[in-house]
Amino acid sequence: MAVSFKPIRSLMQTGTNTGSRWFSYIGLGIGVLLLLCSIQMYINIQQLLGSESQRKDGSDFISISKTITNETMGQLEKNLFNANDISEIAAKPFIEGVSPLTANRFRVQLSAGDIIPFSTDMFLESLDNNFIDTVPPNFTWQEGQNYIPIVFSSDFLEIYNVFAPGYGLPQLSAETASQVVVFITCYGPNGEKQTFRGSIVALSDRVNSIIVPKNFLDWANNKFGNTTDVKASRLYIKTKDANNPDFLTYLQQKNYKVNKDKTKFGRVKQVLQGIFSGLGIFGLLVVILALMLFSFYLQLMIARSKDNLQLLLMMGYSPNWLSKNVSKQFIPVYILVVLVALAFTEGMQWAFHHFAMFDRPELSSMLHWTVLSTAIFLIGLSLLTNYRMVKKLLYKLV
Amino acid sequence: MQLQLQQVLPVYFDENHRTQSEVWRKDLTFTKGEYIKIVAPSGSGKTSLMHFLYGMRNEYNGNIVYNSANLRNYTPEDFAGYRKDHVSIVFQDLRLFPEQTVQENIELKRQLNPFHPAEKIKEMAERLGIGNKLASRSRICSYGEQQRVAIIRSLMQPFDFLLLDEPFSHLDDKNSQNAMQLMLEEAKLRNAAIIFADLERIDWFPYTRIFHL
Repeated sequence: MAVSFKPIRSLMQTGTNTGSRWFSYIGLGIGVLLLLCSIQMYINIQQLLGSESQRKDGSDFISISKTITNETMGQLEKNLFNANDISEIAAKPFIEGVSPLTANRFRVQLSAGDIIPFSTDMFLESLDNNFIDTVPPNFTWQEGQNYIPIVFSSDFLEIYNVFAPGYGLPQLSAETASQVVVFITCYGPNGEKQTFRGSIVALSDRVNSIIVPKNFLDWANNKFGNTTDVKASRLYIKTKDANNPDFLTYLQQKNYKVNKDKTKFGRVKQVLQGIFSGLGIFGLLVVILALMLFSFYLQLMIARSKDNLQLLLMMGYSPNWLSKNVSKQFIPVYILVVLVALAFTEGMQWAFHHFAMFDRPELSSMLHWTVLSTAIFLIGLSLLTNYRMVKKLLYKLV
Repeated sequence: MQLQLQQVLPVYFDENHRTQSEVWRKDLTFTKGEYIKIVAPSGSGKTSLMHFLYGMRNEYNGNIVYNSANLRNYTPEDFAGYRKDHVSIVFQDLRLFPEQTVQENIELKRQLNPFHPAEKIKEMAERLGIGNKLASRSRICSYGEQQRVAIIRSLMQPFDFLLLDEPFSHLDDKNSQNAMQLMLEEAKLRNAAIIFADLERIDWFPYTRIFHL
């Protein structure tokens, strides 16, 4: 027959101490709430900013160029990256990859044909495909091919749309822009020229340029520009963390200019994550504090009931059975506290998603599974610390 | 089922106790079914002996062995089992829960390892003349009544040895004999031994062996 704990419950003197018990419950609830909210917000930030950030494979991609000063003005050698510069940068531990942005060394003219009466001198650049955020499968070129695919900066499209009306040109949507066939005319030094057809195959948020396949530009530079040794004015760098202090110091030392805009987004994200990590740690501290308060309350309760507990042990009650049952008394209230905190967190998440984020599809109104598992973990943690505490105190009474 | 004393002497006793005592510093073996009477004047260590045998204290030299297991090696869990299943006691200072009723006090012991059904509590209480006290808090009962509660409580479990430490100090002869009769019946039911320690010889305890402490 199972021994009942019911008649023993009244032997545990808790009466006069309800105040401190409720304080620790409320403290625990607040701590758990802070912790769960922080985790959920941390995940929200990941989900919100993760999709739009400059990161690809968890790395930052940024372009650097040499700062053109009054002293270096006009000295092409000093303003371009040569092979030595590139290999030096590539050797740095914080750099995962470098690719030069190679520009055309011949005159290029672009016209939009008959539909849009627009013609301009322009530039072309090429970049390693790995460094471009949007590379469609048709972004290739072979010698003899008359069609050139182009990856176009979305910023440039925006700029075009700003000035187009003033010149009587139609504004273009991203979809329409990719359907416009343009004519690219390359001029050689001796008057030869060749015209290619081209169209935008993708828009890039990362690269501020007009990118054509690398083998095309190499071929064209060779044919029209009479040079194979092309120095780069810009380098694209792949790095784990664009905010790495070593990296930034190095850039400063070499007087390289970095596109700050591109790292700003990452920095905002970092600051936000920092804030919520801090809040999470604070929440964890509150949880620990509440558990400590509760353990004081337990100690007090056991000290008050010491005579009764001692007598029970003397009568033959198993100290292990008593510890289990004494700590079991708090299971419902612990679960309740964590569930209430979980409900508040869910309410917060729903309100955040609905009112602050207007139901953006990247987010969910439901809690992330890590939040739920943290809640379960916290219940387990509280019960375990309780049980160990009670057991330790009871064994002292034997 | 044997309870053995091997050269036991409280650490706070000096060695000359050994010469006067028939228990201290002796090798004694108590077996089931025996009625042991221990006559002990005040200060001779009667309560100490009972507490040692019950495993509540261990400030003694020598060993106490139950069924070839030394009590010194018992874990807290072992003691719980020992007190629940094998050895029962009536304390000199009774040790009831003051805020619980008489019924609750007895039931707390009975539910641990019930030898009797719950109805037996009322039957025994009536037999010892405290049937009308079952619903009273034990602290408002007289000492004599509390003594009878402690006796009934000790009879709720199975045991091989029943330890009695001045169980009748506040009972008149009639009530004492009545209670003794009940305990003897209960011991017989279990074929258990009674180890009865008191200040002087009591005629109505049919001891099989007597020791002077």
